[in-house]
Amino acid sequence: MATVQQLSTKHVLGIKYLSESDIRLIFETAKSFKEVLNRPIKKVPSLRDVTVANLFFENSTRTRISFELAEKRLSADIVNFSASSSSVKKGETLLDTVNNILSMKVDMVVMRHPAPGAHHFLAQHIDANIINAGDGTHEHPTQALLDAFSMEEAVGELAGRKVAIFGDILHSRVALSNIFCLNKLGAKVRVCGPPTLIPKHIAELGVEVSHDLKDSLRWCDIANVLRIQLERQDISYFSSLREYAQYFGINKPLLDSLDKPIVIMHPGPINRGVEITSDVADSEHSIILQQVENGVAVRMAVLYLLAAKR
Amino acid sequence: MDLLIKNATITDPGSPHHGQQRDIFIRQGKIEAIEAEVLLKDVPVLEGEQLKASPGWLAMGVQTGDPGLEQREDLRTASEAAAAGGFTAITCQPNTDPAIHSKSEVLYVRNNTGGQLVACYPIGAISRNCAGKELTEMIDMHAAGAVAFSDGKKAVQHSGLMMRALQYVQAFDGLVINQPLERDIAGEGQMHEGYTSTTLGMKGIPAIAEEIMVQRDLHLLAYTGSRLHLANLSTAGAVEMVRQAKARGLRVTASVPVMNLAFDDSALDGFDVNFKLLPPLRSRADRDALRQGLLDGAIDAITANHAPLEEELKKVEFPYAQFGAIGLETVYAVCKTYLGDWLSDELFVEKTAINPRKILGLPLPSLEVGQPAELAVFSPAQQWVYRRENGYSRSHNSPLFDRPFTGKVLAVVNRDQSFFNRHR
Repeated sequence: MATVQQLSTKHVLGIKYLSESDIRLIFETAKSFKEVLNRPIKKVPSLRDVTVANLFFENSTRTRISFELAEKRLSADIVNFSASSSSVKKGETLLDTVNNILSMKVDMVVMRHPAPGAHHFLAQHIDANIINAGDGTHEHPTQALLDAFSMEEAVGELAGRKVAIFGDILHSRVALSNIFCLNKLGAKVRVCGPPTLIPKHIAELGVEVSHDLKDSLRWCDIANVLRIQLERQDISYFSSLREYAQYFGINKPLLDSLDKPIVIMHPGPINRGVEITSDVADSEHSIILQQVENGVAVRMAVLYLLAAKR
Repeated sequence: MDLLIKNATITDPGSPHHGQQRDIFIRQGKIEAIEAEVLLKDVPVLEGEQLKASPGWLAMGVQTGDPGLEQREDLRTASEAAAAGGFTAITCQPNTDPAIHSKSEVLYVRNNTGGQLVACYPIGAISRNCAGKELTEMIDMHAAGAVAFSDGKKAVQHSGLMMRALQYVQAFDGLVINQPLERDIAGEGQMHEGYTSTTLGMKGIPAIAEEIMVQRDLHLLAYTGSRLHLANLSTAGAVEMVRQAKARGLRVTASVPVMNLAFDDSALDGFDVNFKLLPPLRSRADRDALRQGLLDGAIDAITANHAPLEEELKKVEFPYAQFGAIGLETVYAVCKTYLGDWLSDELFVEKTAINPRKILGLPLPSLEVGQPAELAVFSPAQQWVYRRENGYSRSHNSPLFDRPFTGKVLAVVNRDQSFFNRHR
């Protein structure tokens, strides 16, 4: 799959720093890789002799596995590092940790970190290509890319389409990256959730704000339902899960009351019965598992395109 | 110490020579002559392009690390940085280790700086360890030489404590200083809450975190009738409240950090930790309101908001980095380079030399024959670059290194000593 096009950046730190044509190029590349993934032999040699370090300073299961699979399908050499088993607990700085790993000749870094901007900080001080696999409440670009890629698969071109993002917008890097990505692709975006979970200035990013679940479901073509980030809430932003589920949870009767089917998405892991009920998550309108499948193809595309910049 | 300053425009509203271009001859630390031309041989001469001379400036609320955190800044390096910035006096924040919270620490600062060019005036803590709980022995500290009382960069959270502090200092008509920030609302905020913080996914410090406390302090001030200085304001709402309080006759004064006059929160778009300041850089509208407040007198003083920090506390991920930047050496240059013509040199001198001393009740130096020479020599036209290796502060947490500046301080004179800085 030879391509003469290249990304405009050396790192993927966030959707904010990608152009629309970068996003298009990633999607085109991901399409080819998705086709590869459905072959009997799912492996290509594109990243042979490239070493990728997966640095996870915050817990992750699906994103880490998705990246690892993407790297393996591209024949990269991989080293894995997670904070729980590391020297970070002994007080080593991020820069020292990463420099130690890089001195073992690592070409690319896939990193998840709890601090917004951690990848920018690293990019100023190290030479490897950096892919942001989530930095606190800032960005999670590959999630937004795989979301938009999956949306296009489901409904075609996103320009003019209406996408509503439901739930905890305040603590969500997925929401922010989704907003940046969908804005670049011309979709209309609305966020909906309890007022304490909506950032005060979010409307300045060019999105609509609503606290009315039913009205927002009626409005949208696609509902991207976010996980309630209980682990990232240091103080109470809503009173109880019971009340949340009752007023902001999406259930089957609610969807049946709409005059049109809408596409249901969720970045996982799902709190079943809280932000979304099982019958909705498992319904024919849900593309939650396609998102997971596309995640590998999109991450392969990002890795491949960045490796080409080396 | 003898010095002949050639062709300097005297910028001192209190001097009969104000606005005139003069030669100033200083002999043994005293102003011997101010004349159109002084011809002397064998005297050190200071001359240069577009020189101006004013009373030496006073930096309010300088954070040192002395005692206890000398690796950041001790009294000597803070004084040198101040001298390089045109200041002949500073007031020292009480946030040291131990805090300046009793007569001993007040005397420590005074006794260690007595003979040096830059006068160091200690600010006593309001509460023990600046912890916001028990009142300190303020009368005793006042008697030992504390010029005002404050918990420094720690805002007084407890309204009752603030009220009692304002009442207690009435025993000697003392001054209470508070840098307002309501901690419950600021929370874990990392920068101004607004468009930029939203796009960076960063927890914000809303403007009301400052404004609510300004409101509270002004109510307490009206109730007690004391004297209050609100330090380092950053929001439009706070400026307006101070303006109205002054109109109502309350004895309140206010200052603004020079960085908040020059920059807004968009400076943080690239996660530059050295722009992570407290108060945070706020919106453009806030910045413009601070400028207006300076012009119409709602804001009395400009501060350096000097906060030295070790590299280890800054060269980390943004949310883990501490707040603050050094700033003593660049106050005038930032004003001249980023603020444009609306801030005249005369207004600058009022906000850095005259008003701070009035607020603190300190004697005003004057450029008059027979007076002790305490003055700053500067040039609005001269250009320079702030280089890390030329800096005087022991810390290097500045976002301004390697930036070209217009507007330079050349020298200060005080207490029969002179200081010529090495910035080029």
